[in-house]
Amino acid sequence: MKSSRRKFLCSATSTVAIPFLPSLGLIAAAAPVARGIVNPLAPPPKRMVFLGIGFGVTADRWYPDIDREGAEYKLPKLLKPLARHKDDITIIQNLMHQYSADGHAGSTFWLTGANRYAVPGQSFHNTVSVDQVAAEVLGNDTRFTSVQLAAKGAGTDGHGPGLSLAWNRSGKPVAGLDTPVAAFHRMFSNDTTPLEQRQKILNDQRSVLDTVLTDAKSINRKLNKTDANKLDEYFQSIREIEVRLAKEEKWLAVDKKKPSKPLSEPGDLEGVEEIRMMYNLMVAAMQVDASRVFTYRMPANSMIQSLGATMSAHTMSHYSEGERRTVSQQRDTAHAKLLAEFFDKLKASKEPDGSSLFDHCSITFGTNLSSVHTLKNCPTLIAGGGSGFKHGRHLVMDNPKTPLCNLWLSTLRGSGIASESFGDATGVIDELFEK
Amino acid sequence: MKSILFAALLFLAVGPVAQAQDNPAFMPKKQTSVFEKYCFDCHDSETQEGSVDLESIPLQISKDIETAERWAKVLNAINSGEMPPEDSEQIPDQEKLEFLEELSRQMVLARKILSDSGGEITLRRLNRREYQNTLESLIGVRPNVSGLPDDQASSGFDTEGASLFFSSNQLELYLNAARHSLDFALNSSSRVKSKTERIEPEETYTPHYEGYLEELRTRIANSKKFLASPDDPPTDLGILDAYQAKKQMRNAKKWVPQLEEYVARPETKTGATMILTIKKGGPTKIKLPPVGAHAYGRYKIRVRAAAYKDAPVRFQYLEFTSGIGKSRNHMGWRKVVGTLGDPEIIEFEFEHLPGEKQLYMIHQRTHQDRGDKNLWTLNQLENGIGTPPGVWVDWAELVGPEQFEFPQRDEILFERPQGWSEKKYVKEVIRRFATKAFRGTEPSEEYVGKLFERFESASKDGNSFKKAIVEPLAIVLSSPNFLYKVESTGGNESLSAHELATRLSYFLWSTTPDQELVELAESGKLNDPTVLREQTDRMIADPKFERFINGFVHQWLEMERIDMFQFSGAQYPEFDNAVRANSREELFSMFRLLVQERLPLKDLLHGNYVVINDLLADYYGIEGVKGHEFRKVDIPKDSVRGGLLGTCAVNVMGSDGIRSSPVERGAWVLRHLLNNPPPPAPPNVPQLSRLDGEVLSVRNLQRAHQEQPQCAQCHQKIDPIGYGLENFDPTGAWREVETVSFGKSKLGRKQTKEFEIDPRGKLHSEQTFSNFAELRDVIGEHEDDFAGGFAESLIAYGLGRPYGFTDKSLSEGMVQHAAKRQYDINEFIHALIQSKAFSTK
Repeated sequence: MKSSRRKFLCSATSTVAIPFLPSLGLIAAAAPVARGIVNPLAPPPKRMVFLGIGFGVTADRWYPDIDREGAEYKLPKLLKPLARHKDDITIIQNLMHQYSADGHAGSTFWLTGANRYAVPGQSFHNTVSVDQVAAEVLGNDTRFTSVQLAAKGAGTDGHGPGLSLAWNRSGKPVAGLDTPVAAFHRMFSNDTTPLEQRQKILNDQRSVLDTVLTDAKSINRKLNKTDANKLDEYFQSIREIEVRLAKEEKWLAVDKKKPSKPLSEPGDLEGVEEIRMMYNLMVAAMQVDASRVFTYRMPANSMIQSLGATMSAHTMSHYSEGERRTVSQQRDTAHAKLLAEFFDKLKASKEPDGSSLFDHCSITFGTNLSSVHTLKNCPTLIAGGGSGFKHGRHLVMDNPKTPLCNLWLSTLRGSGIASESFGDATGVIDELFEK
Repeated sequence: MKSILFAALLFLAVGPVAQAQDNPAFMPKKQTSVFEKYCFDCHDSETQEGSVDLESIPLQISKDIETAERWAKVLNAINSGEMPPEDSEQIPDQEKLEFLEELSRQMVLARKILSDSGGEITLRRLNRREYQNTLESLIGVRPNVSGLPDDQASSGFDTEGASLFFSSNQLELYLNAARHSLDFALNSSSRVKSKTERIEPEETYTPHYEGYLEELRTRIANSKKFLASPDDPPTDLGILDAYQAKKQMRNAKKWVPQLEEYVARPETKTGATMILTIKKGGPTKIKLPPVGAHAYGRYKIRVRAAAYKDAPVRFQYLEFTSGIGKSRNHMGWRKVVGTLGDPEIIEFEFEHLPGEKQLYMIHQRTHQDRGDKNLWTLNQLENGIGTPPGVWVDWAELVGPEQFEFPQRDEILFERPQGWSEKKYVKEVIRRFATKAFRGTEPSEEYVGKLFERFESASKDGNSFKKAIVEPLAIVLSSPNFLYKVESTGGNESLSAHELATRLSYFLWSTTPDQELVELAESGKLNDPTVLREQTDRMIADPKFERFINGFVHQWLEMERIDMFQFSGAQYPEFDNAVRANSREELFSMFRLLVQERLPLKDLLHGNYVVINDLLADYYGIEGVKGHEFRKVDIPKDSVRGGLLGTCAVNVMGSDGIRSSPVERGAWVLRHLLNNPPPPAPPNVPQLSRLDGEVLSVRNLQRAHQEQPQCAQCHQKIDPIGYGLENFDPTGAWREVETVSFGKSKLGRKQTKEFEIDPRGKLHSEQTFSNFAELRDVIGEHEDDFAGGFAESLIAYGLGRPYGFTDKSLSEGMVQHAAKRQYDINEFIHALIQSKAFSTK
């Protein structure tokens, strides 16, 4: 298996389409069925997690020394809590999106790499995000094709436009679950409504769609091309709900699985505690295989406030010497600590074959903003064995404008997803696949 | 090496490019000598290193997107210092500067040309504000829309069709908001009776503070006891060690005097003095009884209060807030003028919206964050007591609700005519409601039929008639004919009368047309220019015009910047939540006054009056202004106030919460007053770090901008304008010297160093000025530019598309028309509404 993937990756630096050999991930994804019967002999499924922090990091202290590449690099003091995982993480420098220009948008284009102004006459445009591309393959056999978590009030957290980190195939924002409570109920609470009634609710929802569609069609006859294209967004929305309803129907009779360690309903959490709980919920969701693709647009304001800061995240992001910088650094370290705990839990959760969730998961932590309003050298910390990356290193790309999409493409292909290209990627990052 | 990607310049969207190319963006031939001298070695048609051929690049930048992108790459490469490579001959500074300046200028032009939509307006969805207002107009209930996407997040105006998206979950959000509001409007039958509830604050606060004083005294006594026997300290006092004992005693001793003073005040036996404690609840808060979701309506708070005249004037105000939990929304402020001997009764009115639970409170004026507590500690160090109280409250009453009527309810569920079957009636209810919601477009029979099925289904589930009818009506409010302002004629045809009424109503009121407009549309009279003018006047005079002011002015002047940064209360004690909120209101009030009194637009550049209330008068140090209403106040000729540049808000927008920013201020002036926007700020510019660690004046910090040609080419135009505003500190207060804080912060304050302010500068590299007054005069000479920019913004907002070159004659026409009446804002609006563009699809 490994050799076939390797073969593919070697030739993948060119963007020429080549036939793709199915790898582990695809075979695993094809096997289980919705009824919840899992073949114990099938390899554990691949998973992906993207964690976006909005405003950037304290750049001069967060990145390792640029001159010390490879395994011998020194983990920056701010990231000390991650020391126990140093061999399992990689920090990459010199990745960026060539089209990103909005200094307050750390998340809008982070997973897409789109050119905001690519479409004539529109002041905003986006394209599909990497997680949604992955979900098309990895999400077929789980109840939730993908799970989007997105903290409340993110408008001022340096994330920029969007509802979560995820953007669908037509470049429209995908909504997220905004609190641990909402995420908990969505992923783990079983609906106590009788089955027939739930079926009826689904049917009612379909009838609503059918009704508004009748109205939409009556307009469509009168519109010119531009307007018809605009209205198509509405049709697209309906199509997506239909797809979702179809999947819900498929899983209607299947109870949601509870994680092995019983999980109680989280309280009203904010900041650091909210992040910790969201991490726990993701681990639990992986344990019961509720979904295989997760994004989390993390809180910034409430996070620094829970650390005792009283300024806003935007104020913090313009750090100079003094209090703003202190808060910024505290935030960086707190993130490192939470992330280390998350990795601990993923490592401790075992798959039937004795490997851990961590071994089959690709985790990316970062944002499109490096610091203040700078959009180059996006902070990027990756971990987990899902994409077959060699970890424990500090990689500095030779080209300071290496597309971040090269990492997304590498993550996709490494996880067995046959993407020819992604965004403005010029190829995969070969170094990640070194032996 | 910094890589400055002019990605923003790359958006170069196409429109009917050809028509806008009467004045194309051209790189002058002489500038390309730079290429010959420094680039052709590698990048001529023969060598084409890196596939870059500068010999064949068309000089017409606006030729097409591809050409513009090639030029953007050139700009980017030279800007970032990437080209020429280090080991090649470098372009001398002066030559580089001229080249970059010309190219940036032409790129701005090219961008405008290529993004011109040629007058095409893309189908517009109701934005969030419009959706909320429209639901209120249709059903009488103002929905909570905080769950809907905020359409102001993307750039430009929130009325721009092409940028108003529909995302996959939006349909369900609309459905839920509509269901909730309709259910409220049709089913909330239980009326809440109006009542008066009085709070006597001394009942809470006298025991609260007396108890706290007692507690502190005990702590001091215990600490003494603990410290008295260091070898064998008592263990039953809850004190761990000497450190804790000392700390607790020190703090208690710090807090006791204020409380002793409090309980000694005779007036605290019959009321509450507004103070602040560090650890006992912060500011004294009069909490009014909570108001529930169904008790919507108009309320009045009555407070019997007195001011302590010797307290700083900032504290002689009451702050009224609403909210649940920690976050408070500021509703307003009232100055207290009554005295302890003769208290006054202050009335504060507000509306409690349906479906919301709120806790209303009254307290002193507050800062963000720890500002008030830091100030208290600083005051305590000075006077041994803490911040002196400014107001005493005898009692407070909550009176209400006077409940809103929903006349819409009877209109929606009109009386069922005799002999009508339920089916016939329900279908007619749906049809009438949909026709109104669709702004005159009749729903199709098939659609009404399906909606009726939804009603039947809901009825079968056991819902009452009024509950079951909610579902089909909510679907109407989520259907495209409602959510989109459909203008069905194609090409350059005129709008239908209903479509014109819709465009007019959303322009000036941000909501659906009222009955009068609908009737005029139906009778066809609206297309008569005289009627249209009368209607425009009527609409401007209507209270709903406030929505235009809030929507348009806010976006036109980029007022979201007012809230962008926090200010430390310790550093800027006078700039609190009240000043920030009122400074925003000041700009709206100026605009409102200009419209109402038909004053010339140029008063915004320099007027001999300000539009303020008591609170801002106190902030600006202007005497004789009583009452919270904003009104015109004449000021001396030499006053620094008067005009936008003298306002608190504009100067706050040009700072980062710590220091003033000549760059932001200069760029704002170029964009909004001179209609000469600088090229978009390049991303990835490092902060000026070369001068880090040096304590410098703002003006000296900007020096770094002049050192490199790629920075200088823009900043030499921007920064000098900002220098002229340096006498305004970050909070918009006037200053003679600049005080720079540095080093470690203690109680929110740092070491400081003072610098003389040098306000000299230049406008457009030619007109010099030596101080703020002269800058204002120089800008005042650019009234025409200002009027042009205003017209362009009005076009973009009103027509719902970015201003483009195709609109040039329209904007010029508007300016010429308004110029005849001293640039009266009303005339700009009339000119736009009367224009062909306004009534053409």
